[in-house]
Amino acid sequence: MSALGRLKSWEGLLLALLVIIVAVNIEHSPYYLGVGNIVNLFQLSIEKIIVALIMTLVIINGEIDLSVASVMGLAACVLAWLFEMGTPMPLAIVGGLLAGLAAGLFNGFWVAYVGLPSLAVTLAGLIGYRGIARILVEDHPIGNFPEWFNLVGQQPLIGPVTVSIVIFALLFVIIAITLHSSALGRLVYVIGNNLQAARYSGIRVRLVKMTLFGASGTIAALAGILYAARLGSVRGDMAAGFELDIITIVLLGGVSIFGGSGNLAGVGLSILVILNLRNGMGLASITGNTQTSVIGALLILSVLVPNMAQTISNKWNGRET
Amino acid sequence: MKKYLLATAALAMAVSINHGVQAQAMAKPGEALDMVLLPKFLGILPFDQAHQGAQEAAKELENPTPLQFLGPTPENSVAGQIEITTNATTQGVAAIMISNNSGDQIVPAAKAAQEKGIAVVTWDSPIPSAEGEDVFVAQVDFSETGVVMADMALSILGEDGGKFAILSASPDAANQNAWNAAMKEALKGEKYAKLELLDTVYGNDQSEESYNQALALVDKYPDMELIMAPTSVGIVAAAKAMQDEDLCDTVKTSGLGVPSEMLAYTMNGCAPEFALWSFVDLGYLTYQTAYAIATGALKAEEGASFKAGRMGEYTITKDPTRDAGLRILMGPFSVYDKDNVEAAAK
Repeated sequence: MSALGRLKSWEGLLLALLVIIVAVNIEHSPYYLGVGNIVNLFQLSIEKIIVALIMTLVIINGEIDLSVASVMGLAACVLAWLFEMGTPMPLAIVGGLLAGLAAGLFNGFWVAYVGLPSLAVTLAGLIGYRGIARILVEDHPIGNFPEWFNLVGQQPLIGPVTVSIVIFALLFVIIAITLHSSALGRLVYVIGNNLQAARYSGIRVRLVKMTLFGASGTIAALAGILYAARLGSVRGDMAAGFELDIITIVLLGGVSIFGGSGNLAGVGLSILVILNLRNGMGLASITGNTQTSVIGALLILSVLVPNMAQTISNKWNGRET
Repeated sequence: MKKYLLATAALAMAVSINHGVQAQAMAKPGEALDMVLLPKFLGILPFDQAHQGAQEAAKELENPTPLQFLGPTPENSVAGQIEITTNATTQGVAAIMISNNSGDQIVPAAKAAQEKGIAVVTWDSPIPSAEGEDVFVAQVDFSETGVVMADMALSILGEDGGKFAILSASPDAANQNAWNAAMKEALKGEKYAKLELLDTVYGNDQSEESYNQALALVDKYPDMELIMAPTSVGIVAAAKAMQDEDLCDTVKTSGLGVPSEMLAYTMNGCAPEFALWSFVDLGYLTYQTAYAIATGALKAEEGASFKAGRMGEYTITKDPTRDAGLRILMGPFSVYDKDNVEAAAK
């Protein structure tokens, strides 16, 4: 089976899974199809799925960014810290975004120019950026933001659709175009497939990697700020642990953890599968560890099934020849 | 004149009867209300005890709809509590009872629930700004915690007093700090003049770390006679450390602990006295409160009172620890020793 064929069948599998989950949800809960619930379904995880979009590029590129959740927390804390010192909110937002950009470029520098593995660099970032965030706000929550800021996170913008959901949709389109029909997108795949070959063929690997990590930091910061607006208050532990959910979404979307393959359609389907599954379980009052285990089992399958399919098909081909 | 007096008396009586009726406000049992008990996270003994108490109240109030006990995992506590509150709002439940672990971050979700007519009662840990919350069912008064701990220290060390140290959870746990401050305040009283507080150390609610901190205290202060640990993790670790090192005769342990975890140490004299509020009662009172508010029998406003089943009458007051908050104060502490710890541990 060709790589393309396998990918297609993976998306087919996700689509089938999605149909089953949606059918079960409709069958199970009269509230599921309510407009309010569908909006909440996205809204409750909106920051994670925004970051999952850029994470898709990073992983296809053969790297990983474990620091995204800490960058989300850092941006929110920088914003809250600036605001508390009397900075006008729009400037505080810019400050938060710049902090994210700086954190991302810092990660990128060590990966692209020094050649350290991104797993180690961004693990350090996960710890370090969280540390800075906690120092900035210490142990007291910061709230009482201007009303308009909270409304950005909580109020509908177009019909029942919130600002965050609109931003997600726009980013989805932009990243889809970048990945699948731009020069940068092709480079992302080429580098992810074979770093050495990419280097020897004169591709500006460093520039691509710096761009991706910078974008990852900035988009994570944007997500962190939207999270602050949604909750109306900032604490040092904001978004802690989100990186695992984000990476789960990307891997379940069929993106190879080794880089070089995967596409945004798969990640989009994966987002719908996980969000609908979570929402359905929530409405069926399944929470806590049970919910975590179900999603964990799904991820294990997403890693095992393609690998097993590969192994089996290899053996089969081997027997034929 | 006489007539006037009579009339006044009659009026006064009428008022007091009216008042009496209000004080007797009791929720009508048997209403089918979908109610959610939301702990900070699942898998912790005190929250299971609160669940048990809430179920007891649900049975007494003959609510035919089963109580939903829903909680996040510890790693996902904040986002999980918000998600559960939001989903419960979508389902249009009658009441949500939250042990809040999300600070004010839960406010938008709690407000949305209130706007849908859902009773939002907090217990164990309130919403700091009190926004989105009807009333907080408080386990104990923070200042009382200080007095209870000082009394236990005095009772263990005796009339002649002695030196002791505090083994707390973490330097930034708000409730721990409030309790330690309340204890230091209480120690200023003449009654406790012979008690000397040597040091305050932190075990971060980790067993291993608390155990090592307790041993370090012994090394540092050879004349220390008591370790006071206002945390259920720290107190067990300290008692175990003293037992392992054969020090129980010279250094006692006390503080806030769970009876079932402290039973052995209390019976063998390592931790002769400790205190805690009953989480079963807290769950019971919380359910009674939420049920009364959801049925309309109780209005969440200052001065309103109601009868909470077997626990008797409670009145809603202003919360002295939060500017805008209302609370129902459960209290008092249960102090456990050799005589009553076995029954409580069951």
